[in-house]
Amino acid sequence: MRNAEFEMGNPEADSQTEIPHAEFRTPNSDAPGPAIVTQTISLTPRVDIHASGANVALNRWPNIECSEIDAGIRVGTVPAWKPGWGRVRTVMLTFPEAIQFLPPKEEPAEGELQTVRPPKPKRDSEDGDAGSEKKKRTRLKPPSDALSLEDRLFYILQPPLETTLAGQELIMPFEPFPHQYEGIGWLFSQKHALLADEMGLGKTMQTITAVRLLLRSGQVRRVLFVCPKPLIPNWQREFRTWAEELPIVTVEGNTDRRRMIWSMPGVPILMTNYEVLSRDFSEMHEDDRPKFDLVVLDEAQRIKNRDSKTAEVARDITRKRSWALTGTPIENRPEEMASLFEFMEVVPPRATPDLKQLSRLADVYVLRRVKELVMKDMPPRLDRDEFLEMTPAQNSAYRIAEKEGVVQLNEMGDQISVANVFELVLRLKQITNFDPLTGESAKLDRLVADMEEIASSGGKAILFSQWTKVLDWMKPALEPFGPLIYHGGVPTKKREPILKQFKEDPTKHILLMSYGTGAVGLNLQFAGYVFLFDRWWNPAVEDQAINRAHRIGQKDTVIVTRFISKDTIEERIDAVLRHKREIFESVLGPGDKTNVSLSLDAAEIFGLFDLKAPAGKGSRMKKVAPKIPSESDQDAA
Amino acid sequence: MASGSKDRADSLRLGFLTAVELHDGGFVGGLLVTDRFGRPLEFQCTTPVRANRTQELLYGPTLVPFIVGELIGKALSDRISIKPTLLLSDRPEMLTLREHIDAPVLCLTGSDRASASAASAEDEENFSSAVGSKVTLGRVEFQTHAEFPEDAAAAQQLARPIDSKADLSEPIERVSEALKETMATVGGKPKVA
Repeated sequence: MRNAEFEMGNPEADSQTEIPHAEFRTPNSDAPGPAIVTQTISLTPRVDIHASGANVALNRWPNIECSEIDAGIRVGTVPAWKPGWGRVRTVMLTFPEAIQFLPPKEEPAEGELQTVRPPKPKRDSEDGDAGSEKKKRTRLKPPSDALSLEDRLFYILQPPLETTLAGQELIMPFEPFPHQYEGIGWLFSQKHALLADEMGLGKTMQTITAVRLLLRSGQVRRVLFVCPKPLIPNWQREFRTWAEELPIVTVEGNTDRRRMIWSMPGVPILMTNYEVLSRDFSEMHEDDRPKFDLVVLDEAQRIKNRDSKTAEVARDITRKRSWALTGTPIENRPEEMASLFEFMEVVPPRATPDLKQLSRLADVYVLRRVKELVMKDMPPRLDRDEFLEMTPAQNSAYRIAEKEGVVQLNEMGDQISVANVFELVLRLKQITNFDPLTGESAKLDRLVADMEEIASSGGKAILFSQWTKVLDWMKPALEPFGPLIYHGGVPTKKREPILKQFKEDPTKHILLMSYGTGAVGLNLQFAGYVFLFDRWWNPAVEDQAINRAHRIGQKDTVIVTRFISKDTIEERIDAVLRHKREIFESVLGPGDKTNVSLSLDAAEIFGLFDLKAPAGKGSRMKKVAPKIPSESDQDAA
Repeated sequence: MASGSKDRADSLRLGFLTAVELHDGGFVGGLLVTDRFGRPLEFQCTTPVRANRTQELLYGPTLVPFIVGELIGKALSDRISIKPTLLLSDRPEMLTLREHIDAPVLCLTGSDRASASAASAEDEENFSSAVGSKVTLGRVEFQTHAEFPEDAAAAQQLARPIDSKADLSEPIERVSEALKETMATVGGKPKVA
C-alpha cells in the first residue's frame, strides 16, 4: 500500500495547477475478487473569490506626493580665514650717554682689543675660587622709591657690578669685597643715601666707585664732595688710588680763585671743606650758586645740628642726589638723624620723626654694616672688660676725692655747672689710673702681667689713654717690653719711624698711644692686642682706636682689653653708655654694638653723682664730653 | 691697537633677545642692545601677545614659534632704533628671525640655555634638527639657524673684541628680569617666577 501523499506547493502555483487527489487501491487489484470501486475525492477546499468590488483597489499603487518643509537650520561657509594678530606694540627705553674715560692701555697685540683685568688682592680664601668660572654677580636693584617702570628697568638692565668693574676702562687696583660690591650697587641706585658703615669697611672706596659708575653711565656729570678740611688730602689720595682717571678740583685759595673754580664748567668733581662751602655759598647770590647732580657730605655728622649755618648751606645746594657718609650717624640722640634725613630730602623741613619713623626711614635710606657681620673672613675681635679692684692707696684717694668733690658740688647750689661736675669726673678718672701720691696702679699691675705673656709669645700690643702724661708715667714700668710712645707731643717727622720700628723691631712689644693721635688713619694690623687703659667718653672713638689693629689685613684674633675700675665713676659711665646703646640700636638695628657714637649729656653727668641738674642746665641735652680727640687734645686734665 | 679694529669694536652692537611666557599663555618679548662691554644702550619690550582659542587650534604646535619668532622677534627687531650687529637669544624660536633680517641670529645651545631644563625632550630634538653650526662666543656656545650656517663664522668675526671669558648669556637674564619686572608692574604674571 502506498502512503497517502500530501504536497503543499506555493499557493500561487497551487491556484494554477490541478490539485492532486487521494486514491485508494487494493493490492492485486487485477486479481479477481469482489470488485472494489475507487473514487477520487479532492481534499482541496474550494475557494472562490467573492466579488466585493474592492479587489481592484488592492492591486493599485498608492499615490505619494512630496512637499518642502523648513527645518530651521542654516549651514554657512567662510570663504577665507586670516590670522588677525594685529600689530605688536612695543615700549622703548633708552639709556643716557656715558662719559668717555681714558682708553685702555694698548697691548702689543695684533690689532685686537685686550681686556685689562684688575689685579686681584692675594687672599688665602681666594685660592679655591681661582678656577671658578661662575662668579658671584652683584646686580643693581631698583631703589624702593623708584616708582616708574622706566626707572626700575634702568637699574635692572645694568650689567652686574663685577662685570662693569672688570671692564676695560674701569681699572680697579684691588678687587672689592662682597660687602663693598653691595654698597657700591646700593649707592649707585640711591638718590638719597646715608652710608653709615663701620669704620674700616671702605666707605671712601665704595663712594668713589659708585660716583665713578654714575659718571660712566652718564647719570651724573657734576659732583660736589664736602668733607672736613684735614680729610681733603685723604680723599685726594683715595681718588688717585681708585679712580685715577677722574679729574678732581679742590676749591681752595683766595676768594677770587675760589669763585672762579665754583663757576668753572666741565669739571666733573669738585671738592671742598665745610668752612669754605659755608662761607662761599653765603656770599654768593642765589642765582650764582653752582648746581650739582650729586652732593656727598663726608663726616656728615657735621650737619647734625639742623640750625647750624653749615647744615642750612648744605640743604640749600641745588642738587639731584644727596649722599651722606658717616660711621657715627648718631652722636648723642637719635633725633640727630633727622637733620641728616632733612639734607637727604627724605623728610620735610623741620620734621621731627619719632623713633619708629626714624627706624623705618633708616631701613630705606641708610646702609650700615658692621665688621663682624660682613668680614666673615676677618679674624674675630675678642672684647673683654676687665673690672679691676683698685689698690688700697688708690681706693682711699678715690673715696676722699669723691666725697669732698660731691660735698663741694652740693655747696655750690644753683651755681653748679656741668663744667664743675665734669672736672670732678676727670679727677676721679685719673685716680682710677694711678694713685697720685704713691703711684700705685691696679691697671698697670694687670697690664704688666698681661704684657709678660704677650711679649713671651712674640706678640705686639697697642695701648690707648686719654692722657699723654699717663703714657709717659707708665713707660718705665713697661721697659722690659720695649715701649714706644706715639702721641701729639711727638714731632710729626718722628712719628713714621716710630711706627716702622714698632712693626719691624721684635723687641718692641707695646706702643703707647693717645686717642687723639693714634685713633685715626693708622694701619697697625700686625698688632694682636689692644688695651684701653682708660675709657674715652665716646665708644665710637674707642672703636676707631681698636680698628687700628682690627682691620683688613689682620690675620689673628684681636684681643681688646678695657680696664674698668670697680665701684668707680668708670663703672657708672660704662653702665650709662650701655643703656643708651640699647636704645639707639632700635634705630640702627641689632648687631650694631660697636659703633654707635654716644656721649653723656648734662643730666647724665649730674646723675653720675646722684646730683640733679639745675633747671635749664640738664634739660637741654647738651653734650659735655670733650670733642672728638684731635692732635691737640692732649692733657685734657 | 689698530684704529680700524678699535672702530669695529666700538661699533659692535650686541642684541640680546628673549621672550617670557605669561601665566595665561601669552608672551612678552624684550630686546636689549648693548655695547661690547654689555652696557645697555637701548631696550625695547612688547606688550603681551596672546593667541585666542581659534588661533591656538589652527596654529597647533607652530603657535609658539610663530608668536615668539615671527611676531615678537620681528616687531622688536624692526622697532629698535639702535640696530644690533649680532643678535643672541636663549629661545630657539627666535632663530626664525634670521629669515627676515641681515644680522646673524644665534641661540644658546642646550647646555648653555637657561631654559634647557624646562624644555621637553621633543623640543630639544626639534631644536637640534632646526639649528645649524655651533660657535663659541666668549665662553658660551651658540648655534645658528639651519639655513644660515655661515652665521657662525660671521658671528665669530664680529665678536672678536669680546673677552674670551665674557658670559654672553648674562645679558639675556637681564632681559628676562626686566620683562618679569614689567609684568609685575602692569599686573601680569610670568609663568616662571
